[in-house]
Amino acid sequence: MEVLDNIINGFAVALSFKNMLFVFIGVLSGTVIGMLPGLGPISAIAIMIPLSYGMEPASALILMAGVYYGAIFGGSTSSILLNAPGVAGTVATSFDGYPLARQGKAGKALAIAAISSFGGGTISVFALMLVAPMMASFATQFGSTEYFALMFLGLSAISSLSEGSTIKALISAVLGLMIASVGRDLLTGTARFTFGSVNLLDGIDFLVIALGLFALAEVTNLVLSRNKKNNSKESEVGSLRVTKQEAKEISGPIARHSVLGFIIGVLPGAGATISSFLSYITEKRISKNPETFGKGNIKGLAAPEASNNAATSGAFVPLLTLGIPGSGTTAVLLGALLVAGVTPGPLLMQEEPNVFWGVIASMYFGNIFLLILNLPLIPLIAKILYIPKKLLISLVIVFCLIGVYGISFNTFDLYLLLGFGILGYVMRLLSFPAAPLILAFILGGMMETSFRQALTISKGDYLTFVQSPISAVLIALSVLSLLLPLLRSKMKKSQK
Amino acid sequence: MLNSMNRKVSIVIFLFSIIYLIYSYQIEPSPFAKIDADIMPKGLGYLLLILSVFLFIENKEETEQEKAKRNISKQEIGLLLLIVLFVLLYITLLEFIGFIIVTILFLTATSRMLGYTSWIRMFIIFGIFTLVIYVSFNELLGLSLPSGILPF
Repeated sequence: MEVLDNIINGFAVALSFKNMLFVFIGVLSGTVIGMLPGLGPISAIAIMIPLSYGMEPASALILMAGVYYGAIFGGSTSSILLNAPGVAGTVATSFDGYPLARQGKAGKALAIAAISSFGGGTISVFALMLVAPMMASFATQFGSTEYFALMFLGLSAISSLSEGSTIKALISAVLGLMIASVGRDLLTGTARFTFGSVNLLDGIDFLVIALGLFALAEVTNLVLSRNKKNNSKESEVGSLRVTKQEAKEISGPIARHSVLGFIIGVLPGAGATISSFLSYITEKRISKNPETFGKGNIKGLAAPEASNNAATSGAFVPLLTLGIPGSGTTAVLLGALLVAGVTPGPLLMQEEPNVFWGVIASMYFGNIFLLILNLPLIPLIAKILYIPKKLLISLVIVFCLIGVYGISFNTFDLYLLLGFGILGYVMRLLSFPAAPLILAFILGGMMETSFRQALTISKGDYLTFVQSPISAVLIALSVLSLLLPLLRSKMKKSQK
Repeated sequence: MLNSMNRKVSIVIFLFSIIYLIYSYQIEPSPFAKIDADIMPKGLGYLLLILSVFLFIENKEETEQEKAKRNISKQEIGLLLLIVLFVLLYITLLEFIGFIIVTILFLTATSRMLGYTSWIRMFIIFGIFTLVIYVSFNELLGLSLPSGILPF
């Protein structure tokens, strides 16, 4: 019963006063940042990283995880109240949430969203407890060949699943890998693409990329929308009451989409965004009266909310057990863990069970905090939406600058940060997705190391990647996922 | 031939990948490694080259939504460039003048430029924000931000 002991230990870690405080700070700041339209979960985590400097690994991870699922939770508030989703994972929430708010039932909609998120979060953390240990023990068989194939799958999946052109997403991913190749080579020590600069010898810090490409680039959204008045009034939240009948009605969707969301969250490349859309569509399809969807159906609100929160827990499975993030957001989370001195992977569960189980246990409490924060306090918290953006913009910029300065104490990195901010903005203007870039950048070093180790072991034989059965399956899946968009567009054309 | 935005972008990426490839052929070989440090950069360079050609051939029409993203007035672009300039000044002056003064100046200048008018509120909010960050970095995190010309 070693696992049980560890779980109990994990709860003990999470229940310490200090860590409870960090869970609370994490979910609160996540909710607040996630609520701001324009700033997504990646920015939320990146902005909070400086706070974790020098923290114990378990506490840092607990804090950052709280920011992550707090941001998804908070995103639904602005989806419902303003029809302006704070994060992509809550776009589907606005389909039925905003109509409810316009009918004067904003309070009810917020309550249903909070309950569904809580349901999805709690059920999926339970699933995480069951699945993570199995995954970790399976992953101990992985060698460098399999790791490379797995990361390759993650990159191709995120590229083929991202919105818009797959080619553009792939270009973003390759750029991410290229940026990762700057600096001293890990295996031979050769300097690459440093142009003689000492500042580039250690490569580019991931925080520079995360804050620049996301937080700074997203600040421009705030700048351009600064004069827009929010089109709802503060006093219109209304009663939070959910009737027994309604509670009964949404319990089915919550259970269904918690499971669906969790599974999609585990898969590489997919995440809260895809799972919430998929759940919305499924719920509409199995509904007896699909015509009420989009007009304020509470099931249409409960389904994506349960699903996006479940997907966030699901995303922790590959992150904690394989050490390989499946999405842009978890990639930044991985970066935050490395800053804190935790190296996630199959051995984390055995070597640092208190970190591993402490974080998972903390998620239960995080979800409870979120429920408490979101139910009675929501009208109060929603006021954050009415803080003048003109003030907020400059504060976010300073936070980014100081976050980077705090790790390097070098103004060179700040110029780089600004450069990546501009790059991120240009990418948005030209519809290049930024998530594949950050994922590729974080995976870059690991990917190259395992690629070259695998080739060194096979004496330069590239067939090694298809000779191991696990890696062959993973590579086949990657190729399949890249061909998928091609097939889809072919099918569309032939239908015309 | 270069009528679409995607084609123009593909040319830029094509040129970039060639420059990247030139540099990756200049990576010094290591006498010990069989699978050397240049293998990944070279592979990536060719991959990007191929992808840029694909982007060119694909020549997808942009959706209206995608085009609308670039529909920004000259005034707003000027504003964004001014913010960039302010950030550049901030970075350059940070270590000379010090965190507290530069930050308060930057916050006030940026917010004024964006149209925030209340001097008193700015003074209180930015003053508290800057001091809280300064104290928490220096005391709690043990990372000292540049004090510059101020004696503390």
